[in-house]
Amino acid sequence: MTVGETPSAGRGITRLRLRPPSRLFLVRIVVMFVLAGIALATPSFLSAPSLTTLLTTISFVGCLAAAMTFITISGNIMSFALGAAAAVSAMVFVVVLNAAGYATAVIAALAAGAAVTAAQGCLVGFLRTNPIIVSIAANVLIYGVAQRVTNNETVQIGDAFLHSLLKGKVFEAPVEFIVFLAVIALGQAVLSLTVFGRNLFYVGSGLRAAETIGLPTVRTTIGAYLWAGLFAAVTGILLASRFHQANMEFALRYDYDAIAAVLVGGTAIQGGNGSMLRTLVGVAAVSTIQVVLLLYGFREEWRLFITGLIVVAVVILYSSRQRQ
Amino acid sequence: MLDVEHLAKSYGPIKALRDVSLSLAAGEVRAVCGENGAGKSTLMRVLMGVSRPDAGTIRLDGGAVSIDSPQQAQRLGIALVAQELSLAPDLSILDNIWLGNRAVPLFHRRKEFRRRAAEALTLLGVDYGLDTPVSRLTMGQRQIVEIARMLVRDARILILDEPTATLSDVEIERMMSTLRSLRTQGKGVLYVTHRLGEVFEICDSVTVLRNGANVGSAAVGQIDRARLIALMLGRSFTDMYPAAAAEGACDRGLEIRDLHIPGSVARLSLIAPRGRITCIAGQVGAGASAVTRAVAGLVPSATGTVLLDGTPLQLGSLSQRVRRNIAFVSEDRAAEGIFNRSVLENLVASRVTDHASCGFVSWPSLRRFAAQLCAEVTVDRGRLGAQAFDLSGGNQQKLLFARALGGSKPGVILINEPTRGVDVGARAEIYRLLREFCQRGYVLLMTSSDLEEVVGISDTVLTLYRGEIVSTYQHSRIDMTDILADITHPVTTKAA
Repeated sequence: MTVGETPSAGRGITRLRLRPPSRLFLVRIVVMFVLAGIALATPSFLSAPSLTTLLTTISFVGCLAAAMTFITISGNIMSFALGAAAAVSAMVFVVVLNAAGYATAVIAALAAGAAVTAAQGCLVGFLRTNPIIVSIAANVLIYGVAQRVTNNETVQIGDAFLHSLLKGKVFEAPVEFIVFLAVIALGQAVLSLTVFGRNLFYVGSGLRAAETIGLPTVRTTIGAYLWAGLFAAVTGILLASRFHQANMEFALRYDYDAIAAVLVGGTAIQGGNGSMLRTLVGVAAVSTIQVVLLLYGFREEWRLFITGLIVVAVVILYSSRQRQ
Repeated sequence: MLDVEHLAKSYGPIKALRDVSLSLAAGEVRAVCGENGAGKSTLMRVLMGVSRPDAGTIRLDGGAVSIDSPQQAQRLGIALVAQELSLAPDLSILDNIWLGNRAVPLFHRRKEFRRRAAEALTLLGVDYGLDTPVSRLTMGQRQIVEIARMLVRDARILILDEPTATLSDVEIERMMSTLRSLRTQGKGVLYVTHRLGEVFEICDSVTVLRNGANVGSAAVGQIDRARLIALMLGRSFTDMYPAAAAEGACDRGLEIRDLHIPGSVARLSLIAPRGRITCIAGQVGAGASAVTRAVAGLVPSATGTVLLDGTPLQLGSLSQRVRRNIAFVSEDRAAEGIFNRSVLENLVASRVTDHASCGFVSWPSLRRFAAQLCAEVTVDRGRLGAQAFDLSGGNQQKLLFARALGGSKPGVILINEPTRGVDVGARAEIYRLLREFCQRGYVLLMTSSDLEEVVGISDTVLTLYRGEIVSTYQHSRIDMTDILADITHPVTTKAA
């Protein structure tokens, strides 16, 4: 990256760091261009239906990737339980919507997502447990409990509420996409402009150093998970609204797509470095690849295969840079 | 034995070595001195076959050799004991001595291998059980095991890279006697060090590098300390340490009563007044660093009373410590000091809340604050956007000092080993800053295992041995011999 990070670059007061662009940066630019070329050369990519598909896919995975970004920056690598949190939020949203109306449903869904994820944050923050293990355990736990409670059923949104759902388009873009952009903007504001956001970078880039100067490390870690839970809940709400129903299969593999997006975007896996804008770029890249594959008629297993390859490629690229 | 002639090596536009020549005879210990960036590491890399020189010759016993790889260096009998040791902590001393040796079969516990390992240790004048796991050894003992490893590889030329940087004084003494036995064995030693005292204590000759070139080589008998420093810095260096504070009454400042830290400090009481530099001198492991950590609230098990300006401080409370403006600078800069972020973010790390309202930070205010701190600790303001880990050790240390400033009124600065990993030029700067903070009314409580520094900078010295204070010295009564005696053999002092 040639340009200083978001907070400083955003203001334009601090000077840009005038280093020659790193190899990684060049690779990223080339990949973006190649990707855009392939996408534009793909028949029917630019048609309205496929663009709408692209933008809605971006939005579902994107909110989850934004959630993941908080956890990655906090130095806790990744979570495998954000998809589960999104599914729980979707279920809660539908059930509460049918019982109590729209506003209450949104609040309940956000609260549910935040609660299950912040609980994991407490384990990680207070007890310093391994965040990956915690997330895997939480994932299994959530699906286990949900299965018992819901009997694997799908809950439907009652007809009375169908009219009030987020639907339609704003400036030709699906409303989900607008929500996603708002999530990215909010996330970026939290990261660059709030005390919590600054502490998050400190905790992520040096937990012991943060502790040594007396920063509230536990509170900050839990905060990262809390925001992650809220953003995962947004994914749940969007999914339920789009499909008029919810079940625990929702967002099942979104964790992996979100991880790929965060990594491709260039948020440092070891923590303490990254931004929502990078995640936005990462989500766009990963989703474009998937839509292009879809348009060429590749099947689901290919989609997974390619996503896996991307993650491996990015990890190799980063570790080669670190060794330099 | 070894002759290096007109060695040059560039990395891109940077000339790491311009024209370096030195010679090493059998049984000679040659010190290689120079500030950070003078070219010491590049010289070592070239001799070890890690980097190829652009020009120049390396002769071994008169014949020119080319060293293309570390394996080749091992064949030629050149070995490096790096600062970062390459021992496997869970393996035994025996296994570690033979680890990576090209001559070893898969199973090497045969008598011959035990015997040769034991011999190497005896040569070095130590007596460790061959089957002891390395994890039970101290840093200094590990270094000696590493040297023994080089001896069984039949190394004739040993390059030691600051072997004493992390050692306590007793261990340094042992390292010195190890060096003496290496000399008796007819080995050639290149001894890279920052500690000038060691040059005069142990070395036969010294080569000084500056900006990648030789600026002088001399027998140790023909050079003195001042001249050596002048050579390293390229300018004459009259006084490393600023003048001490005037004697006389002063505010109470920080008062510690009956501090107990399980496992390291028994019962410790001291007073660190405002405007004075108070230093706890002790060897590594004596408990000095635990005292400052405890006052900083980082040791939950510590008990006792700590008063700041007469008001008690709750031990173990990080938030209260921050509120009372007590800053702590750890000796472990990489892990407990510097964040892997920009210089600006590192400077303001502990004071973001002061430049925020309702949870939102004001970047213009943070930038102004950071620029002001830069000026106070003489760090170039243009480097605010640089990554903190790209700065030199001295500049990183200045960042940490700057972080301790700020706040409404002068507070307390607790510092462990203020100049660890800081080169000679930057050291003087750090001492000047310490004195300046102290004149502004800060309480300065530091710990150090570098005796020269203790004597040079302190107004009050408390000597610590195994967690107990041995004596207290003030101003002119601070004397290196007494302090050394206290922290190594307190019994003799008490008897005297």
